[in-house]
Amino acid sequence: MTRTKRSFAVALAAGAAAIALGMTGCTPSAGGGGDDASVLRVWAGSATPINNNFNPFAVDTAVHATFGVIYEPLFFFNQLSADAPVGLIGDSYEYSEDGRTLTVTIKPDLKWSDGDDLTADDVAFTFGYGSNKSEQFVSAEATDATTVVLTYTEPQFTSASLTLGSTYIIPEHIWADIDDFMAETNPEPVGSGPYVLKSFSDAAYTVEANELFRDGAPAVTEVQYLGLDSNQSSQDLLTTGKIDWVGQFIANPDAVTGEGNITTQNLQQDPTTITTCANADLGCEGAQTDPAVRQAIDVAIDRATIADKAFAGLAGESSPSFTLQPRDEQWLSDPELATSPQEANAAEAGAILEAAGYTKDADGFYGTGGTAFEIDLFSPDGWTDYNDAAKLISEQAADAGIRINARTVSDAEYWTPIQSGDFQMALYGLTQSIVADPYSNYHEYFAGTSTAKVGETPLVGQNYARYSNPVVDGAVLAAGATQDVATKQAAYATIQAEIARDLPYIPVVLNASQSFFNTEKFSGWPSEGDLYAAPLPYLAVANAVVLSHLTPAK
Amino acid sequence: MSFYLRRVAFYLVTLWAAISLNFLLPRLLPGDPAAIMLGKLRRASGGRPLSEETIEAITSILGAGKDMSLWDQYVAYWGRLLQGDLGVSSTRYPASVADLIAAALPWTIILVGVATVISFLLGIIVGAWVGWRRGTALDHLVPVTTVFQSIPYFWLALVLVAVFSVQLGWFPIVGGYDVFEFPAGPEPTWAFVGSAIYHAILPATTIVLSSVGGWLLGMRNMMVSTMSEDYVVTAEAKGLTPRRVRTRYASRNAAIPSLAGFGIALGFVVAGSIVMEQVFSYPGIGKLMIQAVQGLDYALMQGVFLVITLTVLAANFFMDLIYGFIDPRVRHNG
Repeated sequence: MTRTKRSFAVALAAGAAAIALGMTGCTPSAGGGGDDASVLRVWAGSATPINNNFNPFAVDTAVHATFGVIYEPLFFFNQLSADAPVGLIGDSYEYSEDGRTLTVTIKPDLKWSDGDDLTADDVAFTFGYGSNKSEQFVSAEATDATTVVLTYTEPQFTSASLTLGSTYIIPEHIWADIDDFMAETNPEPVGSGPYVLKSFSDAAYTVEANELFRDGAPAVTEVQYLGLDSNQSSQDLLTTGKIDWVGQFIANPDAVTGEGNITTQNLQQDPTTITTCANADLGCEGAQTDPAVRQAIDVAIDRATIADKAFAGLAGESSPSFTLQPRDEQWLSDPELATSPQEANAAEAGAILEAAGYTKDADGFYGTGGTAFEIDLFSPDGWTDYNDAAKLISEQAADAGIRINARTVSDAEYWTPIQSGDFQMALYGLTQSIVADPYSNYHEYFAGTSTAKVGETPLVGQNYARYSNPVVDGAVLAAGATQDVATKQAAYATIQAEIARDLPYIPVVLNASQSFFNTEKFSGWPSEGDLYAAPLPYLAVANAVVLSHLTPAK
Repeated sequence: MSFYLRRVAFYLVTLWAAISLNFLLPRLLPGDPAAIMLGKLRRASGGRPLSEETIEAITSILGAGKDMSLWDQYVAYWGRLLQGDLGVSSTRYPASVADLIAAALPWTIILVGVATVISFLLGIIVGAWVGWRRGTALDHLVPVTTVFQSIPYFWLALVLVAVFSVQLGWFPIVGGYDVFEFPAGPEPTWAFVGSAIYHAILPATTIVLSSVGGWLLGMRNMMVSTMSEDYVVTAEAKGLTPRRVRTRYASRNAAIPSLAGFGIALGFVVAGSIVMEQVFSYPGIGKLMIQAVQGLDYALMQGVFLVITLTVLAANFFMDLIYGFIDPRVRHNG
């Protein structure tokens, strides 16, 4: 008898959550969920069953506490500011003149959580182990107990945030015996971070203060990470005071913050774009391979309406320069490129297309030889903000005489074509560079070296637009080989002019990422005036920095 | 005896067909799990080039099949299956599928199983009573329960959570047990069992509420038609007590068709209730299935489907045997 219900299952839509939202918003019953007030409870987004995996090399499948909380990189790069990185294990670092040698000094008298000494040998071992060895890596040598010298074949100026900020230092005395680093689950992690694993189950796991942590054990003695399967559950637990910190989308944040004990922050960093398969030379097919069509779409869409209707007014304005403003202020070459047009201009879109030789067919849609072109735009089913945005884009483009068909696909059908290039346009989120320098955006998404022919997956980089432009490639190479600000600015100006004209990725909005945290039970959270780290519980390293700043409020 | 032999042979063939289909179906879906995992890995690692070693490690485990013929894959699939090896999950890499299923199965079987049995018994007993007293005020129970059945399940569950858990605070919001009290997971203590039962009440209630109407309606109608049968009239004419007529003559015969339905419902217990598990973050198997399908996790998908297929077949086989026993008419062919 419940069989019909099961087929409804898949239809568990966000719409249902919205209904309950209205009901839960009223007067939540207060009350502490747990017994011990000093335990901080987090939902970092994991669903049950939680994977028992603390392998710092499993960046996609290991649990959140692995990154920063248990294992640490050398330095912390705050993606919210342009300030110099903060030393964790590392104390200072210096590049050689040619950028091929990097000398790192680590702090003295460090300990692993099992009591062994953490020395430069461990750091050197880490850089020569597993997937940390990049193509350009030559050697890592510990010259004394606190100094490590890393040598590469190419200048490494631009990879500081990867090398120093997201290479997790592992103890040699344990990992030296592990051969298959990808299949390792590391259920008893020994790290250097502020916390050590206390208990694990597939519904929740708990970490406790590391007594051997270099700055002394953190004030919050226990942190419990929960596995939850829906945003609605998390929101319910938040309003009833049972969890203290979550990073999730809540369309109506007032429903949670109304009581005053929960505070929210909304950071807008990662650009959502219409990623196009842009390069006919590499095998892309469709009208969107013509830059004029992409330019027309760029001016035909009404970003203000999209941000408002599809993203609940929480998204930010994206920039065709793919810099993050105001953080990357010094790298923006032209103030015109600070943000994309926010309002639709159908007339301009039409003019661009007509100048490129397109004419309207009987129904008013542009095409050649009397047949209108049609472009396919897909987004993953159930990502309601993306689905709504795609629908709006399709309608707005139609007003300008451009036929875009929005459709939704399953998760599986989403990732594969994007990587293989077997698509025309997709709504796709790019990842913002985590340092105040757009280099990684340009290298990752726009460089010809980061792409591959249609049908193949890029081996390096994520240039899924298949964009390839020798001018951009030259400038990316030039910017990567120098630390000189003026040279870099010149290179970036070239890149920005090219990509803002060619638009292989048509910027739509900057995604909202909301965090909610309990300021009544814990103090020391990042605030408007002191954004020492992004308060997102799923963000590697920043989460640990926040945790070690907190104190129980009583 | 040949009735039972025929049934056994029939079920063996069905089993083979089901397992073969289970092998074939995921391979007909678009997408490549290795490509998906590599893509996610690449995004997650913030642009670090993936090393050859990493790519090899992943494709060798997940991408197998590109160079193998379908037949060789099929033979290898049977070989692994007979050893009890269900493979490695790609979405929960490198957890083994067998472990994931073993952890989820007890929760689903106990909660959905008990809820299904309660719903069935409740429906049969109340249905028999309502049918017996047809035409009285009791008949109003039928539309009331069917309304609950026609409300979309997720909506019903969300409303109950909003009212009883969030507003009134009577029941927990999520989980199969109190993760705050038992941070290390299940343990063999009464306190834990109590916590698990407490956490099961609301989800079980939602299942019972949404399914009892069907049983009740079916039973009531069968009861009404059975009561006009000659043997019931004869029993009444003989002057037997109404209680005896109701239980021994009418209810027993009226329940037979429902029993067949119950067998099928029991089989589907293992498929879990995807929506219930999603709403309550309940650690069951329906959720594994959804995650597997969304993440194109072939191994997990096959493992879950296999377990579901086996239980549905087993439950049906069992009910077939029982049915042949209770109702001898089915043992005679043609």
